[in-house]
Amino acid sequence: MAANVVASSNRSGALRHGEVIETSTVGFLAESDRLHHLPQLGELVQARIDDDLTAYAVVSFGETSGIDPGRRAVRRGSPDSADNDVYARHPELDHVLRTIFRTAAVGYAQDGRIRHALPPVPVPLHFGVQPCDEDDVRAFCERTDYLASLLAYRGEVAAEQLVAAHLRWVDATLDDDHEWLGRACRTLARLMKRDYDRLVILLESIDPDNS
Amino acid sequence: MTLDLARIAGQIAAMVADLHPDDQRERFAALEHTWETIDGADIRSRLDGAKHSFLLPAPQDSYNERHPLPAPREAYCVAATDGSFILPSRHNPARYYLLNTGLVRLEYGPEPRALLDSEPILKFGEDELMIGSPVHRIPVNGTNIGPKRAAEELRAAANLLADAPEPALALQDGTLILWALETLPEPVAAWTLPGFLEAMAWFRDYQIPLASYVSAPGTREIVNLMRIAICDYPPAGKKINCDECRGRILSEGHSPACDIIPEVTDRFFFESIEPLEPGERSAIFQSTSQILDRYCADGSTDFRIDYFYLNVGLEIGRVEIPHWVSKQPELVDFVHWAVYDQCERGRGYPVALQEAHELAVLSTADRLVMEIAIERELARHGIVLTYTGKDGSKRGRFV
Repeated sequence: MAANVVASSNRSGALRHGEVIETSTVGFLAESDRLHHLPQLGELVQARIDDDLTAYAVVSFGETSGIDPGRRAVRRGSPDSADNDVYARHPELDHVLRTIFRTAAVGYAQDGRIRHALPPVPVPLHFGVQPCDEDDVRAFCERTDYLASLLAYRGEVAAEQLVAAHLRWVDATLDDDHEWLGRACRTLARLMKRDYDRLVILLESIDPDNS
Repeated sequence: MTLDLARIAGQIAAMVADLHPDDQRERFAALEHTWETIDGADIRSRLDGAKHSFLLPAPQDSYNERHPLPAPREAYCVAATDGSFILPSRHNPARYYLLNTGLVRLEYGPEPRALLDSEPILKFGEDELMIGSPVHRIPVNGTNIGPKRAAEELRAAANLLADAPEPALALQDGTLILWALETLPEPVAAWTLPGFLEAMAWFRDYQIPLASYVSAPGTREIVNLMRIAICDYPPAGKKINCDECRGRILSEGHSPACDIIPEVTDRFFFESIEPLEPGERSAIFQSTSQILDRYCADGSTDFRIDYFYLNVGLEIGRVEIPHWVSKQPELVDFVHWAVYDQCERGRGYPVALQEAHELAVLSTADRLVMEIAIERELARHGIVLTYTGKDGSKRGRFV
């Protein structure tokens, strides 16, 4: 288990992605505060559990659909009125649609120490989900052993795609001339030494020079 | 599944064949001809003192005019409300009824915005569950709560538009004519009508048009009018007397001229016989429902209900408006265009009414939540909820 020092204390309130609407030990589902505004696939987010305990999770899936599962979205636009015009013409859509995102828990911070393990309790329902700033990311990702749990992810998105998205997002956030990305890839090479084909697919999809 | 569809499949086919008005096609020509030659002055004079039992529009000079869709508005505001309820149940120890009103206000234009909400009202206690005086007490039930709900919906719509930008329109689902009052006892009217008329007055006082939209209207007032127009008994120019005419069917084998008019609805008439184009509306007609006499307690005709038929693109709908609105051509144009626009945005039905309905409807889950809340509250008072035999048998089904 890694034990890095928390770079900054958890913020609550003003800056947040959304609110937890389903929760469990392995992650949570959150509803975005604004329609279509959600953290990126692979982004590291945080949610406070109590004053001394903060969960870290990686965004593993996003979706926008009707709040009522019985009401399917239908075509609203035309060649003359499309994209944002549709929302201007139907202001009620902001109230009947919602954007949700699922996360995979990858660690937590307790009493100022970061641990790459599942949090001891799930994030409470209706608690906020906050973004991680560069210092948070640097502190949490300093050691890369948590990538093992992401590689074992089972959900809507294939684990390699999730890990690749996470690596691209951290690399862009840290802006460190790919120093962290190099270390992360070496960790992956070690973790996937018996699965060369999957490793190649994963590494090819990172492609830092074109990101 | 308890319905054995195979046993009634043959009857369903026969029923549908019977419903189809194709066999009346030869009678459509008579209807068409009558409509084209209808004489407002003749109808007016023949109906004065006539004896008939048809519900007809009030006499007017011109019936068969039609109006194209008015010019669109850049911006407008529409409010719609719709309600649903939970009725008192004798199977439940807590006696109450719940009215849940869905509230929608949509603003279109440079800064589009929406307000969607719902407003539950819980009524309990002897005073609120009983209508009327101590002498004549009527329990609130599924029939008499209808006009109460209509009054609540109208009040809620007025609240929604209290600070609305202009132009604004209030839309209601169904009819503005409280038909149920025709058969309900007087105390029910006293319980519901003042609130309804108070809200109607608010709209008039603030000059905010109010309209209701009836999808698939089943009314036949215009087709009934054709029966009057084609009547040859007694000869044109004389008073209509259906009683005498019908009496002669048996005694003399008389064949009433109006029997040629097919049994179709006004909707079918404006859809297939004298089709309105998409966006086009009929003339405005004035309802002569007797209930509307009660809307004129102060002697004013402002709250009498008028109506027109409108091709909203997908169907012929009926739009009802208070008389004070129909007297102002610019308001009629706005209602005409806005209802069409709402139907276009809502794929055939006003979008504001769709959303109001969605917010009003109480699902099985909502009803369960209400029950659980009551059950918990009873438990806090040391009362264990016991179900009646029938209710219990539905909850815990066994074989």
